[in-house]
Amino acid sequence: MKVEKELAIIELEATSKEEALQLLGSKLIEQGYVKENFIESILEREKNYPTGLPTEPFGVAIPHTDGDMIHTSTIAFASLKNPVKFLMMGTDDKLVEVKLIFMLALKSPDDQLEMLQKLMELIQDPEMVSKLAQIKSVDELNELVEDKV
Amino acid sequence: MKKLLIMCGTGIATSTVVKGKVEQWLKDNDLSQEVKIYQSKVSDEIGRIDEYDVVLSTTLVPDKIKDKVIDGVPLLTGIGVDSMYDKVLAEIKRE
Repeated sequence: MKVEKELAIIELEATSKEEALQLLGSKLIEQGYVKENFIESILEREKNYPTGLPTEPFGVAIPHTDGDMIHTSTIAFASLKNPVKFLMMGTDDKLVEVKLIFMLALKSPDDQLEMLQKLMELIQDPEMVSKLAQIKSVDELNELVEDKV
Repeated sequence: MKKLLIMCGTGIATSTVVKGKVEQWLKDNDLSQEVKIYQSKVSDEIGRIDEYDVVLSTTLVPDKIKDKVIDGVPLLTGIGVDSMYDKVLAEIKRE
């Protein structure tokens, strides 16, 4: 698993999940990985099917949307300077304080199965979640996630 | 053969991860021959949910099908996995 330099924001400053999703989503649009209305689609999706996961020591969100919004499958990453609240996946009333966002641009189910599974393994490890929140560069991020592959 | 449905909002991302884990679990428990897995998105399945014996979902489902659905989020967070599989096993073994 590797995150492209252009698709990562370290210590993103945002005051809401909407703002964070917009900032990260625009990276994907700028680089041509997704369609122009990707962000609206992600925000709408998040309302109906929230993606905050109650991992330890703090939450991780994995926003994503329909495959037809995607040109090329990839993954974008943001660590947040201050946590923002996401709704917890599978609920419509529980909130999670999220410090890491992995935005998934996935075209089809089989596409990135391995990547997805690895990502899920990573975020189930509290030590890893903690480290990921402290990284200072994309290189550091990729060193961390490559080790696990 | 029992029918096990795994669903999420898009039918692409989290249901794929859950499917991978459940397949492995079935294999480890010698249940692969007893269960067939289906993967889909919630909006496509609401009308035909009774066709399945076991349903796992990573997203919230409408109230009318709530009783039928087991929460699959533990497979994404690693928290509460055992009690989730207990529920799945009970449904697979139900006569």
